[in-house]
Amino acid sequence: MKNKDRVSSVIWQTVRRKKVLSLGIVCAVAGAIAFSLFPPLILGKIIDSLTAGQSVSIGMAGLYFALLALAGLLESLREGGLTLFGQKITHALRSRLMGKMVRLSADTLSHIEPGALVSRFVGDVDAVENLFTSGIVSMFADACKIISILAVVWFQNRGLALILVLLLPFLFWFTRHVQKNMLAAQLDNRRAVSRAAGHVPESLHNIRTIHTLGKEAYMEQRYDDYIEDSYRAMEKTNFYDAIYSPVILILNAVVVAAVMLLSVSGNARVLTLFGMSAGTAVAVINYISQIFTPVESLGMEIQAIQSAVAGVRRINEFLSQSEPAPRKPVSLPASLPAGQPQVELRNVAFGYDDHTVLQSICLQVQAGEQVTLAGRTGAGKSTVFKLLLGLYAPQSGSVLIEGVPAADIADQDRRALFGYVEQRFHQVPGTVRDQITLYDPAISDQAVRTAAKLAGLSDTIESLPQGYDTPCTPELFSQGQWQLLSIARAAAANPRILLLDEITANLDAETENAVLQALRRVSADRTVISISHRTGAQTGRVIPIEPAH
Amino acid sequence: MNKKKDFQANRVLSYFKAEWVTLAAVTVSGLIYNIGLLAAPWFEGRMAGRLVDILGGSGTFTSMLRLAVCYAAVTALVQGARYIKRFCVRRFANDVNRRMKRILYGSLIRKSRAELEGEGVGSAMTKAIQDVDDCVEGMRKFTTEVFDTGVALFAYAVMLLSYDWRLALLSMLFPPLSFLIAEKMKTVVQRTGAAFKEASAHLNAATLDRAENAVTYRVFGCENERQSAYEKELSGYESAAVKANIWSAVLPPLYRIISMAGTLLIIFFGARNIRGTGWTSWDIAVFTTFLACFTRLAAKSSSAAKLFNAVHKAQVSWRRIKPLMHQAEADEPVPALSAAALTATHAGFAYPGGSNIFADMSLSAQPGQIIGITGPVACGKSTLGRMLLCEYPYQGSLKFGDRELSSLRPAELVGMAGYLGHDPELFNDSIENNILLGDDRDANAYLRAVCLDQEVAAMEDGLQTRVGSGGVRLSGGQAQRLALARTLCHRKPVMILDDPFSALDKQTEAQVFAHLKELCRDSIVLLISHRLYLFPQMDQVIFVDHGQALVSTHAQLLQSNAEYARLFHEQEGGASNEK
Repeated sequence: MKNKDRVSSVIWQTVRRKKVLSLGIVCAVAGAIAFSLFPPLILGKIIDSLTAGQSVSIGMAGLYFALLALAGLLESLREGGLTLFGQKITHALRSRLMGKMVRLSADTLSHIEPGALVSRFVGDVDAVENLFTSGIVSMFADACKIISILAVVWFQNRGLALILVLLLPFLFWFTRHVQKNMLAAQLDNRRAVSRAAGHVPESLHNIRTIHTLGKEAYMEQRYDDYIEDSYRAMEKTNFYDAIYSPVILILNAVVVAAVMLLSVSGNARVLTLFGMSAGTAVAVINYISQIFTPVESLGMEIQAIQSAVAGVRRINEFLSQSEPAPRKPVSLPASLPAGQPQVELRNVAFGYDDHTVLQSICLQVQAGEQVTLAGRTGAGKSTVFKLLLGLYAPQSGSVLIEGVPAADIADQDRRALFGYVEQRFHQVPGTVRDQITLYDPAISDQAVRTAAKLAGLSDTIESLPQGYDTPCTPELFSQGQWQLLSIARAAAANPRILLLDEITANLDAETENAVLQALRRVSADRTVISISHRTGAQTGRVIPIEPAH
Repeated sequence: MNKKKDFQANRVLSYFKAEWVTLAAVTVSGLIYNIGLLAAPWFEGRMAGRLVDILGGSGTFTSMLRLAVCYAAVTALVQGARYIKRFCVRRFANDVNRRMKRILYGSLIRKSRAELEGEGVGSAMTKAIQDVDDCVEGMRKFTTEVFDTGVALFAYAVMLLSYDWRLALLSMLFPPLSFLIAEKMKTVVQRTGAAFKEASAHLNAATLDRAENAVTYRVFGCENERQSAYEKELSGYESAAVKANIWSAVLPPLYRIISMAGTLLIIFFGARNIRGTGWTSWDIAVFTTFLACFTRLAAKSSSAAKLFNAVHKAQVSWRRIKPLMHQAEADEPVPALSAAALTATHAGFAYPGGSNIFADMSLSAQPGQIIGITGPVACGKSTLGRMLLCEYPYQGSLKFGDRELSSLRPAELVGMAGYLGHDPELFNDSIENNILLGDDRDANAYLRAVCLDQEVAAMEDGLQTRVGSGGVRLSGGQAQRLALARTLCHRKPVMILDDPFSALDKQTEAQVFAHLKELCRDSIVLLISHRLYLFPQMDQVIFVDHGQALVSTHAQLLQSNAEYARLFHEQEGGASNEK
């Protein structure tokens, strides 16, 4: 199956899995249309019999109401079914997307902006859901409604049916015109709004610059300009928003007036087309106002479908990204043979796309040794780390950790092997404990406490009201404490090798000292490989990394 | 003037008062529109009645023509009023929104850094600015619904009562019934709605977590476990979404059915009225009008709930915003201070309750001097820089000219010191605006000074190139130089530059340094750096280490301080790495 990873296939599978639900929706859609056609006809009958001086049976009134109720009930059923169905599809799509994400290479992952990925998972999938809940199905329903109203009107008042057929294309064009302009204005507005909204956190972030340069008034003016921009865009939306319904309703009135006039024109030829009874007139007025609503919805549905199409395209693009061939995990040897280096790079070459970063790199690190990779920015120190962590496989040569290629190390072996202190702490949702364990149930409470102690953070954590079970918020710890937490996370599984990336946070002297001390504590009795750009922060043997060119 | 004085930022009424012209237009057009709405069913009934007359031979074509033309004209008038009303309501909302945001932002931007960061004022105000949208949306809906629901319902009800009060009362039992049931169901709808909102926030957070921390999870081998956790999150979201959406999708048609139950009575009793056996006597026209009127009333009544919801929502957000609504005081103009010496006598700094970062520093710097500040990692050299901005209290004495720094007013402090920290703190704006920040000068001169002019000229939009949020579209070195250009453009008698060259290569560094020297002839430059290539050219050097700040010159330190000499020579030796 070559198309198994496409939005359409996910939808089709959902339809097949939920046969009853799908069939139910189809029935409810058809039923709601059919039953909503009858009430005006019955009303017409009632009026005509009243005009003729006959009484109206309670059954007739009951039938009128029953049909109204039935149509409403079916509509309710349709909406419910669509909600269920739409959710089934969103669930399936998101599962599929996540499955794909796990299979992507680290290189591809690192090129995806988190915000963009979230909008794939959330915004685009929701757009596809909309395709069902307020797109295709309701569009079909509305189209059917328009056609069936036209058909009924044809039997009631041929002339009106002709007028409507002539009018509908214009009406549709007008609707689309307004909606398109409105969408464009809304997009402008959204851009301006997000710029204005972004201005606030930006001001907070740059507050020192603003204050030291005395630019408060300037920043205020900028903010005002951004708001002004968004209002100019919004005025335009307002215009279209305010003009549409009045135009439609005036048109509605004109059509009704014209039909009424023509029906009493007295001209026999006109009357063959427009002649009707008072009952029919009431029914017809009813139908005319009914036909304008689906036209308006039709326009909205086209819009929903258009944005869903864009969403579908983006999801399909994501799903069709190339993924590396799955590798078979190799388990690590029980013990390291004497004399064999724990970490070894043999003649490694590596590059991204056409750009070579590393060429014939060789290095050996013995168990228990502490080394620093040194070299200028861009020389490839971080790339060596990524190779060691198995995020990339080398283009040639080999990267061996305890004799096993780094990229082949099994997931379950990783944590006991590597501790990785990242440049920047990555907070995960959950409690303080979760930050340290990364949800790994194998890490005991004791291990968590030991790790926190090593990082010099146990007192701080224990003084929190809920201790290790305190939910984490960005304000909970200072920047330096987050770094310490990052060290605790790396040390939690008591790994044999520690990889330290240089910390980039802008720390004050006291905290920076605390971080350095914590690093010294966790480094004891382990193999440590660190990266540093700064002279003076290098420990142990220094291994220079030379750029490829 | 007077008007501005009357305006109280923390009173809602003030905002309504300030917009009275727009609101008056809303009132007039709103009344015309909503009362005019009665015209449509009335005319439709009349026309049906006239049709019966004409078919019966008693009416004329011209009377129908008059009716039809009037009908179209009145509809046009009513709809015109509606257009004006909607437009004005939005205008009102926009104006209020902007006014509130302006006030909030104005006071936010003037709060001190310590207040904003330490006491969470910053995030509270950011939230308040978001709350303004909710609050104003509520005010807008309230203004809209007062007319569209309140006035319209009242008008319809009066019309129905005037035709047949008994039948009107009977049939009007149903819409409130539907409203009551809706109110009862509201708790369920709100509960499931809140649960859904929470589930969707959860899912968003989980998705963002997976996206941002993908590599972390992979490195630590937790990816598969995270995938199944995400699957659980999805199931939770699905059931919450179904529960919430089912109610909001299924209920409205049902409410409509209940509201419309009144038609049963109208048809039955209305028919008796026509036949003369009912409470009053009707003709066909009245019957149709009555029915049409009731249908509209039933549809409108479902939005009565909206009015209450809107008011409630606006109240909740307003209560959160209110305490923060104070109009900011006008800025004191920043005085232009003339060059003067900077003297430190026995100055020192310690964190509250912490160890000394350095103590007993004495220094005398003259305009035109460049003073290098260095020391090992984590020695406190950045802290020394910020101390001069009076961000922390210091010990001993620090004087600019003959004035103690701690006695300067904030505006004077701004006039004295320019500062550039590690973080370039760029704005999401054009390169030119980032340098000038509203001043009227030639940005190119400063770009040349930091050796960025050619790179900027090569960019597609040149000076107008937008740098992105936080300068993401620039390289680290470009962002750093742009920030330096901005600092130079706003030159002050004392310039504190914290590591401005860390991302530059040696050659560029030397060039920029030469320009800096030239541009800051009249200023004192304090240059904090961990790279020492340029230190031989400094007029003085402060070496911060082990709680001490040694003030000396490069040549002397090289001889007298082994640690300084080691750092300097280490970098000289490693220079081949860092060309």
